[in-house]
Amino acid sequence: MLTSIKTNEFRGDKSKELGMMYFRVALILFGAQLLMGLIAAIQFIVPGFLFELFDFSVARMVHINALVVWMLYAMIGSVYFMLPDETGVETVGIGLGKLAFWVLTAAVTVVVLVFIFIQVGSGTETSIWLINEGREYLEAPRWADIGIVVVVLTFYWNVFATYMKGKQTGIMTVLIADLFALAGLYLAGMFFTDNISMDQFWWWWVIHLWVEATWEVFVGALAAYALIKIIGAKREIVEMWLWIEVLMLFGSGILGLGHHYFWIGTPEYWWEIGALFSALEPVPLVAMFVHVLYDWGKEQGKAKAEGHPGAVMNNGPAMAWIVTNAFGNFLGAGIWGFFHTLPQVNIYTHGTQFTAAHGHLAFFGAYATILIGMMYLGVQYAYGVKKLTSTFKSKMAIFLIVFGVLGMTVALTIAGYEQVLVERAELGGGWTAFFAAQDLPWYIQAQVWRAMMGVVTFVGFIYLVWDLLTIGKHAKAAQAAAE
Amino acid sequence: MNFELFTPFTDVVPSFFGWLNQGPMTLTIFLHTLIVLPMFWIYFSEKKRLQKEQ
Amino acid sequence: MANKKVSVWTDIQFWRRSAAWVTGFATILLIWLSFDTIGQITMGTNADLKNGVDKRVPAATVINYHIDYKMNKKRGHEVPVIGEKQLFFGKEWSPKDAEALLRLGKLTEQAKNCMDCHTLLGNGAYYAPDLTKAWLDPAWQKGGPMQGMTGKNTVEEAMAEFLQHPSQYPTHARMMPNLGITAEEAKGLVAFLKHMSSIDTNGFPRNFSKTVAQFKAGDTNAH
Repeated sequence: MLTSIKTNEFRGDKSKELGMMYFRVALILFGAQLLMGLIAAIQFIVPGFLFELFDFSVARMVHINALVVWMLYAMIGSVYFMLPDETGVETVGIGLGKLAFWVLTAAVTVVVLVFIFIQVGSGTETSIWLINEGREYLEAPRWADIGIVVVVLTFYWNVFATYMKGKQTGIMTVLIADLFALAGLYLAGMFFTDNISMDQFWWWWVIHLWVEATWEVFVGALAAYALIKIIGAKREIVEMWLWIEVLMLFGSGILGLGHHYFWIGTPEYWWEIGALFSALEPVPLVAMFVHVLYDWGKEQGKAKAEGHPGAVMNNGPAMAWIVTNAFGNFLGAGIWGFFHTLPQVNIYTHGTQFTAAHGHLAFFGAYATILIGMMYLGVQYAYGVKKLTSTFKSKMAIFLIVFGVLGMTVALTIAGYEQVLVERAELGGGWTAFFAAQDLPWYIQAQVWRAMMGVVTFVGFIYLVWDLLTIGKHAKAAQAAAE
Repeated sequence: MNFELFTPFTDVVPSFFGWLNQGPMTLTIFLHTLIVLPMFWIYFSEKKRLQKEQ
Repeated sequence: MANKKVSVWTDIQFWRRSAAWVTGFATILLIWLSFDTIGQITMGTNADLKNGVDKRVPAATVINYHIDYKMNKKRGHEVPVIGEKQLFFGKEWSPKDAEALLRLGKLTEQAKNCMDCHTLLGNGAYYAPDLTKAWLDPAWQKGGPMQGMTGKNTVEEAMAEFLQHPSQYPTHARMMPNLGITAEEAKGLVAFLKHMSSIDTNGFPRNFSKTVAQFKAGDTNAH
């Protein structure tokens, strides 16, 4: 993955090369995310760890921001990667795309350094513009917000112009519309108000309409592309499914926003809207799952009938991650989300480790998995490998990461359950109630398990990086030897 | 027993959506219906088109 | 011809049109609902407070009033109850000063990154207590351990003292770090917390209003 650009393996395919540049930064930020997560997990067990040096708030801020940013990098990378395949033409503004890449990377570096070394500011507008906006997930200071908007506009123009110039497939049409909404929504998080209810109202426009609507549709489009690419699925069928998914994802996800408006000062009517629309959110995720497995089985069956033995897929690790995506999206976003989406349940679970459990499995299952799959597609292409098969390292990576994240999720669910019953239901949620629940032996045990499973995840990540760095080279050498 | 199928308006500020929100899921069923009903029309118009094409 | 068998369910155009309709219409509904909600969560005015008009989010001058959180039979959950006038840091704040103080508090809340340990209105991180109704927490009231620990006589002074020197007043092995909060910023933060406790959160957090007596006796609310 590292040497692929230097040795010019891309045969002039600039868009894919640009995609790989984004993938690489994504992988580094993914590592940063996990390290910060480990620090925060340790602080739950050993409260004095790095106290007043690198507090939980800092570790947690970098943890979630690295998460969002690595996913955005991998998403942009995926789009640049698939663009020439889908449109049939080279991406229009490669130079501009590269410039945007460097601007974004420089900005992200500065923001992270400020987060780590300056951490907090005084209670002035200047702090919000230069240091830290202090709104979960959107902590990036305002100057960086504006930079992000400019970079994203450049990216969008690139994609749009290429789309207009080339073939306009169904996948690309969905992507163009989806990216427009995705980019535009960011603007809803870029203002200051002293009304905390209003603040949270618009904050959720960004957060929810990203992760429970536009990002999900984005994943649908990626999965559609990847299935065509990896198992040669039939485009008409894949695109039909994609439209069904758009229908159901947006149909449930847009008004599903209501499930964040139960308790932030917004009217009671959101109870009903949030409850039923968001309860339907898992449906498209089931559909995605069925669709991936159905296509896979169908293509396998066809190959068998035609007399090809074995699997028809040309990229084992990518396919493994995409199947994990179908399953993880359904389980993490669907099931774990449904657990606490009804107001009758949510009044107790809102703002507990239950949310953290859901957050971990959903971000991983719905997004990390498919983006890792796209990285494997990138590696396969970069080295010109016709058929990429899983190595021992690929298998260790997927096994350890999936096992680790599932373990963290289960541990946090148990911690959340304790917290909900004791802090919220039994003691009524005050300051002392909070700490009473944090001191429960079962809660502490769950936090210890979470930290251990975090380490398992991190070991898996090391295998993943190692595999991504080596698999292409080895496969290429093996291919050359076989020829 | 403190139960009524249709409850009087309880929220702080009266509004159209608050008014609809006074019975067993009346508001959400109303919104779902608004969204789903036109799909029947889309279905039949597409059916007509397909039959014509054949 | 009308009875010819065709499969609309596998027709791409049917799904495309349906997807466009549902997405577009759901968006329109969301925008409509948002306008309605924004109207309801816009801050009230000082006059509303004087005339006893209930607002979901009252004006900044709500810091001049006593706030309680009581079960409302009609609504089936607890709601904030704004009561008699009450001095805040020993004085009554004019609308202009109250707004400036709240603004300073909100800016400080963001600049100090409170939400990456605490939850506000239930949103944020889960490392430290929820602050939605922190102003009403029995622990901070007269006779409560937090007020006692700081040696102050009012909720606001106790909170402000704690915020300026949090690691001097540990309530748990997991302490709040010193964030360099100044005396003025601390006042602003307390105003922000008091204002937040007056927001109508549809009963979240449930069961919050416990008395100091219950709390001291290690008692529950269940009788």
